[in-house]
Amino acid sequence: MICKIADLTVDVPAAGGISPRFTEYLCEFRGQTDITIHADAYRRAKYPGAPEELIAYIESGVQFHRELLRFDGMMLHSSAVVLDGRAYLFSGPCGVGKSTHTRLWKEVFGSDAQIINDDKPTLRRLNGTWIAYGTPWCGKDGINVNRKVPLAGICFLKQSPETRIRRLESPETTASVILQTMHRFKDEDNLTRMLAHVDKLVREIPIFELENRPVAEAARLSFETMHRAAKEAGL
Amino acid sequence: MKIRKGFVLREVADHWFVLPVGQASVDFSGMISLNESGVLLWKMLEAGGDREAMCDALLDAYEVERAQALADVDAFISVLRDAGCIE
Repeated sequence: MICKIADLTVDVPAAGGISPRFTEYLCEFRGQTDITIHADAYRRAKYPGAPEELIAYIESGVQFHRELLRFDGMMLHSSAVVLDGRAYLFSGPCGVGKSTHTRLWKEVFGSDAQIINDDKPTLRRLNGTWIAYGTPWCGKDGINVNRKVPLAGICFLKQSPETRIRRLESPETTASVILQTMHRFKDEDNLTRMLAHVDKLVREIPIFELENRPVAEAARLSFETMHRAAKEAGL
Repeated sequence: MKIRKGFVLREVADHWFVLPVGQASVDFSGMISLNESGVLLWKMLEAGGDREAMCDALLDAYEVERAQALADVDAFISVLRDAGCIE
């Protein structure tokens, strides 16, 4: 299948029955694609007993996100929600409430808020602007929209009985971002590429930590705080 | 005592980190954030320095007592040992 994902042409094997996930991304293209995903390189032994579809989904994503590093891009393990033409990413370890928080935005802000990727949005820095993309690698619920939106901010979530938000600075920002992107590489060149992207990302994008329970007040607080910081940063 | 292959020192957004790559990244996921004296000690270790040499480097660079410098070196070594960075 030839797809256009995050403004890159990608050859994805239809193997494993993953094609329905890619329907919105199919494109007409002949020639050498930017990224070619190889089904014969899927590490099947890593997933004993897993269905072929799951293996193909995970492993095609691993290859895409690694190759993405060569195109001024990286993924962030997060749920990406768009409001007023800007993307806000909520990140953190599994089970912290990323998807729960972006669903809260939909409850609070209604249909103006749209989740474009619920697990691993692609970020690319094009002409000095960070763009967030919906992609097919979007988590178990399959929530994604093939859209590109300027990135306004990133927020790391922490569960807490209190609701409060604070701006993070380096080195906290750097460490948090590295832990939620692909960071275990065979090859030092990929590590170098990833760190160069992280360096720019944490310098240019306002990054926060939100302690919260999933209540409407938390969604309003994160939006208002991140929206204000994005405006001040000219994003 | 030396740094295990696969641990690299990198500067990101004005701060220093030790990160694993290759086999080291399979055994240790994450990173160690180093302050200025940590970077100095890391570079001493890389150059093959022992505990005494690391301590001397701290004494040259900072106004600290020898006992304090030794304690700092030992604390540093213990963090690296826990992360599997040295062998």
